[in-house]
Amino acid sequence: MNRRDVLRAVGGTSLIGLAGCAGLFETRSARAPPLPENRPDAVYYPTHYEGMKMPGMKEQGGYRCAITYSYAHRFWLMKPNGITKVEIQPEDSIHLMPVVWETQTGIIPPDINPQLTITQNGESIDQFAPWPMLSQPMGFHFGDNAQLQGDGTYTVEVSIGGPSTRRTGSLAENQGNTSFTFEFEFSESTLNEISYTDIPDDKEGTKGAVDLMDMEMLPNSQVPTPDALPGDVRGSETSGDAKFAITVVEDASRFGGDEEQKYLAVSPRTPYNRTMLPMMSLSATLQRDGTSVFDGILQATIDSDLRYHYGTTVADVLTGDELTITVDSPPQTARHEGYETAFVDMPDVQVTL
Amino acid sequence: MSDERGIPRREFLKSAIAIGGTAAFSACLGREEVDVPTGPDDLSSYPQRQHAWNEVLPRDDHGNIIAPSHRVLLYLNYRRDGQPNEDDRDQVETALRGIEHAYERSGDGLLLTVSYSPAYFYRFDDSLPDDVDLPDPEALAPFEEPEFDTPDAVVHLASNTAQVVLGAEEALKGNKSTLNGVDQPDAALTDVFSLADRRTGFIGDGLPAENADDAEGVPADKVPEDAPLFMGFKSGFKKNQASEDRVTIQSGPFAGGTTQHISKLQLNLNQWYNQDDRWQREAKMFCPYHAENDVIEGAGDNLGTSSKIDDCQPTDETAREMGVVGHSQKSARARDDDDSPLILRRDFDSTDGGAASLHFLALQRRITDFVDTREAMNGTDVTEQSAVGQRNNNGILQYIRTERRGNFLVPPRSLRALPPGQPAGDAQEVTHESS
Repeated sequence: MNRRDVLRAVGGTSLIGLAGCAGLFETRSARAPPLPENRPDAVYYPTHYEGMKMPGMKEQGGYRCAITYSYAHRFWLMKPNGITKVEIQPEDSIHLMPVVWETQTGIIPPDINPQLTITQNGESIDQFAPWPMLSQPMGFHFGDNAQLQGDGTYTVEVSIGGPSTRRTGSLAENQGNTSFTFEFEFSESTLNEISYTDIPDDKEGTKGAVDLMDMEMLPNSQVPTPDALPGDVRGSETSGDAKFAITVVEDASRFGGDEEQKYLAVSPRTPYNRTMLPMMSLSATLQRDGTSVFDGILQATIDSDLRYHYGTTVADVLTGDELTITVDSPPQTARHEGYETAFVDMPDVQVTL
Repeated sequence: MSDERGIPRREFLKSAIAIGGTAAFSACLGREEVDVPTGPDDLSSYPQRQHAWNEVLPRDDHGNIIAPSHRVLLYLNYRRDGQPNEDDRDQVETALRGIEHAYERSGDGLLLTVSYSPAYFYRFDDSLPDDVDLPDPEALAPFEEPEFDTPDAVVHLASNTAQVVLGAEEALKGNKSTLNGVDQPDAALTDVFSLADRRTGFIGDGLPAENADDAEGVPADKVPEDAPLFMGFKSGFKKNQASEDRVTIQSGPFAGGTTQHISKLQLNLNQWYNQDDRWQREAKMFCPYHAENDVIEGAGDNLGTSSKIDDCQPTDETAREMGVVGHSQKSARARDDDDSPLILRRDFDSTDGGAASLHFLALQRRITDFVDTREAMNGTDVTEQSAVGQRNNNGILQYIRTERRGNFLVPPRSLRALPPGQPAGDAQEVTHESS
């Protein structure tokens, strides 16, 4: 009986006392404790948080890729009118997260969706495209629960394709299309060395967030503080607990406009951790003295200074202009605990520039 | 195969196709209680279009063609370097006629096509005529890296009767002296070709659920019992398919032929069934409107003759406002001036290699028509302008991985045996001596 068979045989019943894997399952059930009651429609402290391990890192074709993993996680997928909870399945061994970033800038591109192929001695074990996700300690990442077959050496191939989000300057030159192969030694005992930190009952479910993990050698998925954004920062507002920093950059030529035009950039981020919020549909209107001077979409763009943001070229921005940002779709990333109730219902953002 | 006792008859038949060979064929004979009529002695009335299957296939209550259930694709390499000779052509034609005499041309009988790759045609000094659009296969999305199939030929065998597919294959390999009571010629396809690959599969109500155990990674008991495909929904609606006329080459020596694209798509059904919910599956396969309004019952037989894409909002609007777009919704954008789809799907599921996959076989007048359809399905335009990701919420791209692609020319029947690159005259006027 391999591990998967054991899991199948016992299904969802109590596993305590089952010789050989009692320890594993006692910890497993403890790792998905009941969700806090009365979760706010905002970023909240989860019941717990976990560390991760990084078995390897590779560089290829202008990208670096690190393979990282943690315990299997519950998470939520987005729908237009809500969220779908994804429970940990009995067969799930780990939460596998390939982190890919642009070597030069350290930018983690949310549009380059890696594909994973896991094999063992040439036999296929699992293959999937991990979900784009938001987690408090891990930030934006791609991940999904993977189904391994017990302790052993696995080969994990991470392949990436070309980008699909607009890029500026030299970022646009890197067309991706490469792959990274890792030999990955997995054991339950190593997995169980990963830290698991409980959050006290009186703190879980209250507004706030655990800090981003201190990930040596890995870039983070933060966007700049408003002060550090290029251009003239003209405001910062909140919607659905997300913060939107607004800046106006002189000379729109690197954003598809000309040097006479301005570039109006909106940089949404999570509160507390400043993690980027990709995969939204944003649009905006700009009103001047009651007349519309712009009404259109803000296009997702990756820029080495603004990082991941949404923007449009405009003829000009004057003091007193009324900017309304509409969230046509909130971030379609999957969510880990503490983020699933935030950035869902996102009303218009209004700023006087 | 070691424990045949207790295996339901139908479940055995699907495994037999995947395994193949004379033993599987013999076992099928005892288990499949059917009497398939033999083909005619005179095959001269058979259509020039090898792909003219629709007229002999059954239809469902709505008038949709029911695709043949059991399939085998034989990928073949011509044994001779350089140009084919007449002896080899005769051998191929004779072998093909052998199985056509054995089984009638019908859904329960045998349907087949023979097709040739660009690599095959490179042996000729003259390139293919301008009427034939048959480029080498290439990657068709910025995020895929398929391997390319370059064997010289592909024979597609299809039937609702498993033993017919297996028997035809064995006869083409020279392993049958009689087939369905009909003497087989002393001519094997495998004397002329070597077998480079063999792919198998199935399509039809209930077959994916029955085959689920043969493949790793198919969630137990999640594929609906009545679904014709692994992903749980019906496809091939009449109005979502190009007609055989629409996919037929209209002029030149290959008039009456068509082009064929075959890709092998690996499926990730764990995310599809264990993580997404029904709403998401409906929205991603069809469109969010269908999911919101409970348009689809079960596998979608209630949809009638189309996937009702006209009810969906425009793709770009859905992408912006709902953050998710459907596969059918995107793909339906690839249509001609007469509002016809560009491709005729003859795809089927598979458990080849122990993994759930889809052999996406499509016919179209020009390979460009397939490329345009796939481009519409990629939704790259939508991704740039909305919350829809490269794969995430982008139809079914999250769940499929293109492993292989190949392009082929299905010549008219009269040229199906090792055709030259530039046949003389118009194909419709070429007659092959009747056997």
